[in-house]
Amino acid sequence: MMENVLKMLTITRPSMTRRTGNGIKSLVSRVVLFVLYRALKVLACDDRRVASEVATWQEGQSVAIEASLEGPAICFKKESGRIVRCNDHTPVDIRITFRSLDAAFLVLTGQMDVANAYAQHRFMLNGDINKAMSLVRCIDIAESYLFPRIMTKRILKRVEAKEFSALRVYRKVFLGV
Amino acid sequence: MYLPTYYEFANPGKILSGRYALENIASEFRLLGSSRALVLSDRILEKLGQVKVLTDALVSGGMKVVKVYTDIPADSSIEVVNHIATLYREANADSIVALGGGSVIDTAKGVRMLVSQGGSDLMRFTGMEVLPQGRHVPFAAVPTTSGTGSEATVVAVIKDDERHVKMEFVSQFVLPDLAVLDERFTLSMPAKVTAMTGLDALTHAIEAYSCLQKNPVSQCYATAAIRLIRENLPTCVAKPSDRHARLAMANGSLLAGSAFSNSMVGIVHAIGHSLGGVCRVPHGLAMAILLPHCMRFNLDKCAEDYAEILQYMVAPEDYVAVSASSRAQRCVEAVDDFASSVAQAAGLSLHLSDNGVTKDVFSDVAERAVNDGSLIVNPKATSKEDVLRILEAAF
Ligand SMILES: [Fe+2]
Repeated sequence: MMENVLKMLTITRPSMTRRTGNGIKSLVSRVVLFVLYRALKVLACDDRRVASEVATWQEGQSVAIEASLEGPAICFKKESGRIVRCNDHTPVDIRITFRSLDAAFLVLTGQMDVANAYAQHRFMLNGDINKAMSLVRCIDIAESYLFPRIMTKRILKRVEAKEFSALRVYRKVFLGV
Repeated sequence: MYLPTYYEFANPGKILSGRYALENIASEFRLLGSSRALVLSDRILEKLGQVKVLTDALVSGGMKVVKVYTDIPADSSIEVVNHIATLYREANADSIVALGGGSVIDTAKGVRMLVSQGGSDLMRFTGMEVLPQGRHVPFAAVPTTSGTGSEATVVAVIKDDERHVKMEFVSQFVLPDLAVLDERFTLSMPAKVTAMTGLDALTHAIEAYSCLQKNPVSQCYATAAIRLIRENLPTCVAKPSDRHARLAMANGSLLAGSAFSNSMVGIVHAIGHSLGGVCRVPHGLAMAILLPHCMRFNLDKCAEDYAEILQYMVAPEDYVAVSASSRAQRCVEAVDDFASSVAQAAGLSLHLSDNGVTKDVFSDVAERAVNDGSLIVNPKATSKEDVLRILEAAF
């Protein structure tokens, strides 16, 4: 009898483990960050608007996007006019660090655009915000290719027209041709 | 009322508003554990004897003023900040009091950042919300204009002379501990400056109310600011010595400052910053000129917010007389009328062409405006062409 009462009163010990969902979010974020970088690389050559944005970046300008402090990250820079991947953890000109993996997941899965993520303090920005504005426009354009219109129409202030099909971007992102 | 799925709000520091506010800084600082103040101001305020009013108040309250520095230019720079930080350490100060307009207060924020972080170059700390607190340095801001609201904002804008750009430092740890509103300092403000800075504050309130980052707290602050400004700015311009109206404007400016510090500003500031950068149009004047035009541009995205703002821009009987569907449009007109009448009373023209702006700079201004950080929270996407159309309308 006493034992049963004690059992009923026993409170489950507070969990100290990382949420299992984080593993999935981390994996998805890693993949999307890579796709985003590849898409920017492709669009910097093929899309006139992204190309003219990247043309205004100074040579060597580097960007890191981190899905939380310990989460996956991507780092790229402008080299000889093109976007190339660079080593993480080097000092960069613009560093966007999401404050949590959950916040990064919201943005990277097209549930929230960069402007609203900014408005909700979802990331920290190291570096010159004026330079980051051009990057934000590039990401908005990239999202209009990568995500279906039904999603982008909901999250973006204005959905930029595609200059060519999303399929072409995906083909180049994954197959490189 | 609008409630975002998530928001943050950094409250302003303690507000000391009104009679003998200045005299209470010393006792507040004592509670914060400091007794040796570095006083920052500018040359004009020193000549007007206002720095002495402040230092006398501090000393009478038992503070030691270990250093007074008044060589802060109207457009303060990183070098000035770095230099003052050295003086702070040499004088063994333990707190900062800033008396002045936006430039002095922003400089003081920079100095405080540098001193509390313990470095020698401010440039290490650019960016948004990346700064840890560091050592706490008690800091009081006493504004002498009613516009920037800098005494209640988490932003410091400081020029980088080397690269000719204005750097933004955003951190909750640049907020002054004390925002001290004492109307004695604003009584001597000329009508033109009163009008420009007051309309800047109105712009802060309206943009904060309607931008993407709006939230219930910032909207409360913004509407209170709009009321105070609408009721008192015309009086301040017409009758500069009206102490009540001056103190009310100081409050309006502070509330608007806190609102935009948490909700940010949008397109009006993006274009205004660029006009200031390219053709030196004073910030407040640029705001006054651009505000109605930019509201017209944002109208379709901000209709609901503008309709709400109308309540605070017109008398209650006028508000109820407007049909719900025309309130947003009517709000833009009310703001336009208000800005025009204030400007006219102060002898200002609200046309770019009358203020030294020529059309050949439009392209440069538009290019800079779309790269201005303020644009990110503007509810409507803005292209270079959109900015050009607004400039054309404001010409
Ligand atoms: Fe402003």
